[in-house]
Amino acid sequence: MAPEHWMEQLRRGSLELAVLLAIGPDRRYGLEILRHLEFADLVVAEGTIYPLLARLERDGFLKADWVEGEGPRPRKYYQLTASGRARMKKMCEEFRALAGGIEQMIESVLGRRR
Amino acid sequence: MNLTEAGESRVRGYLFVLDRSLRVSANAALAADAVREVESHIRERVAESPGLPNERDALEAILVRLGSPSTVARAYSLEMIMEEAAVGGRLVAVLRSLFHIAGTGIGGFFVSMLLFTGYAMGAALIVTAALKPIFPNNVGLWVHRGISFGAEFPAPEGVTPLGGYWIIPICLVAGLGILIVTHRIGRRWLAGVRQRLLNSRAQRQR
Repeated sequence: MAPEHWMEQLRRGSLELAVLLAIGPDRRYGLEILRHLEFADLVVAEGTIYPLLARLERDGFLKADWVEGEGPRPRKYYQLTASGRARMKKMCEEFRALAGGIEQMIESVLGRRR
Repeated sequence: MNLTEAGESRVRGYLFVLDRSLRVSANAALAADAVREVESHIRERVAESPGLPNERDALEAILVRLGSPSTVARAYSLEMIMEEAAVGGRLVAVLRSLFHIAGTGIGGFFVSMLLFTGYAMGAALIVTAALKPIFPNNVGLWVHRGISFGAEFPAPEGVTPLGGYWIIPICLVAGLGILIVTHRIGRRWLAGVRQRLLNSRAQRQR
């Protein structure tokens, strides 16, 4: 597998967790979520975040409302539901366990990061 | 920046193509909501852009970052493909879901192939019924080096297809019947696959 494909898969796999974390305890709209993701270099095409948000909303992990008068156009605000918070917590635990395991393997091969 | 008429027209064009692309696999309400959200995104980006070096380039940069309408529509379709197929039952959505599942595992591959065969058989029978009035001497039941059914081009010399025009209603009824049964089985199976996915997601949360 080409390195860029591997990176794309890695991004895709992490995106759902990153979106849940970007929303966090607040109420955020699409562009605001994207700004939180930008620093992590997780989004290739900005428009692909909206289908993910729509799916998370359909699955009951997010609650969404259209709000008028806060921007040039109505904004769709997203908020974590109780099940969304539980999912985020669970995903964080799993991600930490996985990342910790990989980090240990990297250290054993390449040595500790300075 | 404030958009000129040319810029407005570019945005409307983008949203129009997105809407059309989304409606291939999504219902009208979902497509409208998605287009509204993407439009809100573009307007926000435009409002905060200084419009440099010129409006056209600044707007193109915004749209490039957003992704082409087909990229965005494809991402929507991947996310909702299963739900659309199981709940909405549209033929295109079911076929796309089957195609998607066929690539995810051996079981999915074989069930999808069986269902595709059902769709193909149903469609072939209806095409046969449609061809009979146009090519009466090429379509029918052939008793010639064994028994076969369908269209033969050119027709074998000295052999006339059996069944006459009776094959039209027979093929129509059989074709539609096979299509309906295959579609119902396909939807039910996709609903089961979707339910298993939702259950496993719920289990992972516990």
